[in-house]
Amino acid sequence: MNNQTILHQAVLDCTDLTTRELNQKLKALASEGISSVKVINPAGRHNLAVGITQAIAIQFQGAVGYYCGGLSEKVDIEVFGGCGWSVGENLMSGNIIIHGNASANAAASAHGGKVCILGNAGPRAGISLKGGTLIVTGNAGYGSAFMMQQGCLIICGNVGENLADSIYDGVIYVGGNIASLGADAQIETMTPQDWQLLDEELQPLAINHEKYDFKKVVCAKELYNFKAKDWSKWKDAY
Amino acid sequence: MCGIAGIIYRNPQFYKNLGSDLLNLIQPLETRGPDSCGVGLYGNSIESNQLKIVLLAEKAIEWEEIKQLLGKLFVVASFTAMGNGKLVTLEGKIFNSKELIHQLCACFPQVHLMSYGQFLEIYKQVGSAQSLFENYDLKTFAGSHAIGHTRMATESVVDTYHSHPFAAGEDLCIVHNGQVSNYYKLRFALERKGVVFETHNDSEAIAHYINYHLTQGKSLETALHSLLNDIDGTYTFLISTSDKVALVRDKFAAKPAVIYESPEMIAIASEYRCFLNLPTFDPSATIREPDAGEINIWSVSNVPIAPAIEVVAEQTKSAYADLRG
Repeated sequence: MNNQTILHQAVLDCTDLTTRELNQKLKALASEGISSVKVINPAGRHNLAVGITQAIAIQFQGAVGYYCGGLSEKVDIEVFGGCGWSVGENLMSGNIIIHGNASANAAASAHGGKVCILGNAGPRAGISLKGGTLIVTGNAGYGSAFMMQQGCLIICGNVGENLADSIYDGVIYVGGNIASLGADAQIETMTPQDWQLLDEELQPLAINHEKYDFKKVVCAKELYNFKAKDWSKWKDAY
Repeated sequence: MCGIAGIIYRNPQFYKNLGSDLLNLIQPLETRGPDSCGVGLYGNSIESNQLKIVLLAEKAIEWEEIKQLLGKLFVVASFTAMGNGKLVTLEGKIFNSKELIHQLCACFPQVHLMSYGQFLEIYKQVGSAQSLFENYDLKTFAGSHAIGHTRMATESVVDTYHSHPFAAGEDLCIVHNGQVSNYYKLRFALERKGVVFETHNDSEAIAHYINYHLTQGKSLETALHSLLNDIDGTYTFLISTSDKVALVRDKFAAKPAVIYESPEMIAIASEYRCFLNLPTFDPSATIREPDAGEINIWSVSNVPIAPAIEVVAEQTKSAYADLRG
C-alpha cells in the first residue's frame, strides 16, 4: 500500500511510555517532518495515535485496542494485527489499514479518509458514517451502517442483521449475503459507475470485484417526511 | 463498563495455574471496573457427602457462635479462616440450602453466604484484584475453571455484597457486564416464585433467573435461550456451573467479549489485551468475538470439546423483501 519514499524512520516502544506520552511523541515527530514511525509493543492498548493532525505514517507492530487513529487528519496508519472498538472514529482524512479483524464500530462517524479492514469487522461497522470510506474485505456484523449519513461502505463478505437501519444517505456495497435490511434501506440496481468505483477501491487491495455478487444498498428516503399513511413504517422504525 | 473474564482448562495438568492465570487475566480489566473485584473459582474438591460454603462478614463477629449454629444443622468438618470470612466444609445426609440461609439470616444477619456447592468458592471485595488475591491467598488456587469480574457500579451501591460474582443455587454463579432494564419486573416475577434476593444489584436477577429455570428441570441451553427473550437490557455475561461455562451476548452486541481458544485452555475476557497477560499466550490461537445474540457453552472436562455455538436468529420486522432467497 505504501509506495512513498521513507526519508526518516523513527521507532517508538510502547512498553516504556504512557499512552499520552506516546501520542505526544507521535505529534512531535509529525511536526518535525519525520515521515514514518514504527511503533512496537502496542499490546492492545487503547487510544493510540488519537488526534494526530499532521501528515505522518505510523506502523503498529501488533494488535491495538479501542479508538486507534480516532479524530485524526492526514495520517497513514497501518496496524499489523487486530484492533478493538471504534478504529478511526471521527477520522477527518488519511488512511487506516488493519491487517486483521476489527471489533465493533469500525470508522464510526468518520468524516473523510479511508479505513480498510483486511479481515472481518464486528457489529455496527460504519455506524453514523459522515463521509469517509470503509472497506471490509471479510464479513461485517449486526447493525452495520446504522444511521449512516454520507460516504461509502464496501463489505466484500456477508453482513449481519439490520444493515443500514435508519440510513440518511451514502452508499453501501455488499459482496455476500445480507441477513436483513433495517428501516428505510433498500437495494438498488448497480450502475457502470458503481462497478467502476468498486474497481478503483478494491484493485489496490488485490481484490477482483467480479468474484463477488455485489449489491448496492441506499436510503429509500421514505422516512424523510412524515406521512400518516406510512404510519406502520414509522412505528417499526424504532 | 465492568470487566468480565473466565478460564476453562482442557487438561488437568494446568489446574495448578488457575489462581495466577485468573489474576493475570482480570488485572487489565481494572480500568473498566475500579470499584470492586470478585472471583468464582471451581476446585479443591471434597467428599461426596460434604459441602463447601463460603461465609463473609465485614464487621467483627463471633465466629464461634456461627460454628455452633452450623453444628446443630450439620457436622462441621472444617472451619478455616479466609480473609474476612470463613471457608466451611459441612457433612450431612441431606443438605437444605434454604434452611441454612434462613437460619443464618435469622440469627446472624451480618453474615453473608457467598457461595455453596461441591466445587465453587466465591471471594469478592471492594478495591483492586491484587488486594483481593492477597487477602484470600488465591494465587495458588488450583482448579478446573473460574470466572472473574471487575465492577464499575451503575445501578446500585458500591460495596462487597453488591460486587460480582452472584451465586444462586449450588455451584452456580454469574458475572455480568451491562444493565438489566427490566430488573424490577423480573425481580417481582422471581420473588413470586419464592426466590429471595440478597442485594439490589440488577445482575443478581440473572443468576436467580437461570437457577430457577435449572431447578424447573430445564437444561442450561434452554434456560439461556429463554433468557435472551426475557431479559431486557445490555449484557455479556458468563455463567458457570460445576461442569459448564457459558458466555451470552445480547442481541444488540452492546457489550464486548473476546474468546481465546488454545490447546491448553479457553479464556474469555472483555478485552483482547487481557490475553497478552497470560504467561502461556499463544498468538496463533483462535481469537474471536461472539456475534449479537450468540450463546457459547463449554463443557468442563479433560478432553477438548468443541463449543456448541448457537446464534439466535430473530425474525426482523423489515418492511422489505427477505433477501436471503
